[in-house]
Amino acid sequence: MRKVVIIGGSAAGMMAAIAAAEQDKNAEVTVISTDATAYRRPGIPALISGYVSEPGQVGVFSERTLTRHNVELLCPAEVIDIDAKNKTVTVESEGKKRQLAFDSAVIATGGYPIIPGIPGSDKKGVCTFTTFEGARQIIESVRDAETVVVIGAGFIALEIAEALMHKDLEVSEFLSRRFERKRLRMLTGEAISEIGGEKSVKYVLHKGKKIPTTVVIMGTGMRPNVALAEKCGIKLGKSGAIKVDSRMQTSVPNIYAAGDCAESPDLGTGRFVYSPVGSIGAMAGRIAGRNAAGGNEQTEGFLRAQADEILGVQMFSIGHSATTAKEVDLEVKMQDLAAPEQAEKDYGPRAFELAKLLTDKEDRIVGAQLVTSRHGSQYAWQLYRAVLVSEDRAEFLEHFISPRAKFAGALVQTITSTISVESFEGGESLTWRNTPK
Amino acid sequence: MDKIIVVNIDKCLACKSCELACAVAHSKSKVLQEAIAESPMPQRMLAVEVAGEYGVPIQCRHCEAAPCIEICPTGAIRRENEESPVLVDEDLCIGCKLCMLICPFGILKIGREGRAIIKCDMCLERLQAGEQPECVAACPTKALVCISINELTESKRKKASEQLTKKSREGAKSQTRKKTK
Repeated sequence: MRKVVIIGGSAAGMMAAIAAAEQDKNAEVTVISTDATAYRRPGIPALISGYVSEPGQVGVFSERTLTRHNVELLCPAEVIDIDAKNKTVTVESEGKKRQLAFDSAVIATGGYPIIPGIPGSDKKGVCTFTTFEGARQIIESVRDAETVVVIGAGFIALEIAEALMHKDLEVSEFLSRRFERKRLRMLTGEAISEIGGEKSVKYVLHKGKKIPTTVVIMGTGMRPNVALAEKCGIKLGKSGAIKVDSRMQTSVPNIYAAGDCAESPDLGTGRFVYSPVGSIGAMAGRIAGRNAAGGNEQTEGFLRAQADEILGVQMFSIGHSATTAKEVDLEVKMQDLAAPEQAEKDYGPRAFELAKLLTDKEDRIVGAQLVTSRHGSQYAWQLYRAVLVSEDRAEFLEHFISPRAKFAGALVQTITSTISVESFEGGESLTWRNTPK
Repeated sequence: MDKIIVVNIDKCLACKSCELACAVAHSKSKVLQEAIAESPMPQRMLAVEVAGEYGVPIQCRHCEAAPCIEICPTGAIRRENEESPVLVDEDLCIGCKLCMLICPFGILKIGREGRAIIKCDMCLERLQAGEQPECVAACPTKALVCISINELTESKRKKASEQLTKKSREGAKSQTRKKTK
């Protein structure tokens, strides 16, 4: 019986486990997770805003699902060593060590939050949110806090800021330029220069001004957790994450890697880059899991796409941004994108708050960013398809529409137009008159 | 899929009874009076949109080739079988929101709990019990109806042929009148 060991129990790891179990129904699949329970990072905002009270409740891949797929979960337990030659892992749980044999393994150890080199980052009250413990810490810290500072304006950082607002706290956000309303204050233009206080946080310094706060949450990005992989001689890529091939296999046969600890191929260029995004982790995990259980699946690359809705504003980022394009040596041009006519007619000239297209040298679309407060997804799916096939910009603009407006418009037209009876020689016929009354 | 929800916007008052019924149907208590006090507040999964002077109830189309099923990285969005509506397995949803991004009608959204994507399930249990989805049942003017595609085309054929016979009957009457003169 094939033994598959999955190290790490978040999106990539769990997806790998389920895919492995699906691939080989008789395989013995074990997930080893350091978190006390299956837990998912995007659930943190819900936790903070109080919709769920226990980190365990934001768990995804519940026991029921795992049992259904015949996957065993060992947690909390830590893999402290992989013996690639003898195909065993050393697992430590509750102070006891034991060996576990495997035929193939998937490393999905995730990443660490990047803590920028701001003086004072080690003070009490500085939190991150990538682990179960981190989540708990945030909830404890914000309980009595009056002001919370979130550093970073990525999707999850904004979500956390939104969740904190539900808790009636004053939130400051750095590095971005929207949400100048309610109790959310944006501090932009310059990074925080210091986190002050004695042992615990008292204030942060921004543009030379002291802003009093007791909690600082770092939402400033991820770096891969590769300690375990390095220890057993698995090669790393240029980005510092685990190097994999298009089958998600590492430099050691039978050991695969996926998620925030590994690189993944970029769809357009095929170049391997580090993109710690949940959806890519899950897709890569799925491929890794299938291959670990004897399958042979490959990927041409993943398209990074993110969507979110924060304080009623929808945000989409699809494909490359100026930064990620640079990573794969892609020369890009940023161009404005206007809303389709129908949308402007219905919702005014501010149908889009911000919309940009990134095009390559041949004016093909390689990336798109959209911020809108109405029906974002109906445009986003068109942008997604355009980026997916690197469509020519002019061609794309020709068929860029507002499907919802078109759909509603078509329905309205159906009832304003009439079916009439017309006489012709020898009889009568029904005619569809497509003109509004 | 056999049954579909058909909208006749000529009859839609934009009263949003369907929205309310939907939110209650997907609440914990399933009772309006209790649902309004629930936390998080129950959410509707369809929306009555304004289009010119009309209100258009827009709900999940349960597309034949559904983009959300295609894009879901974990396989959380799927059909049980060909006849099944497009459903979300909350346990597998990692909250990446890609489906929100790709739905042409903007139907999918993240639940207030922040746990997973929520979407119209066509009130599957009611459907299986031979009942109509809540939004359809709640519609006071029958602007929303849940019928099979065959029934829909059949009723259209019937209407068209009625129109034709009505006209020729009228024509025959006027001709007879002319003759008697």
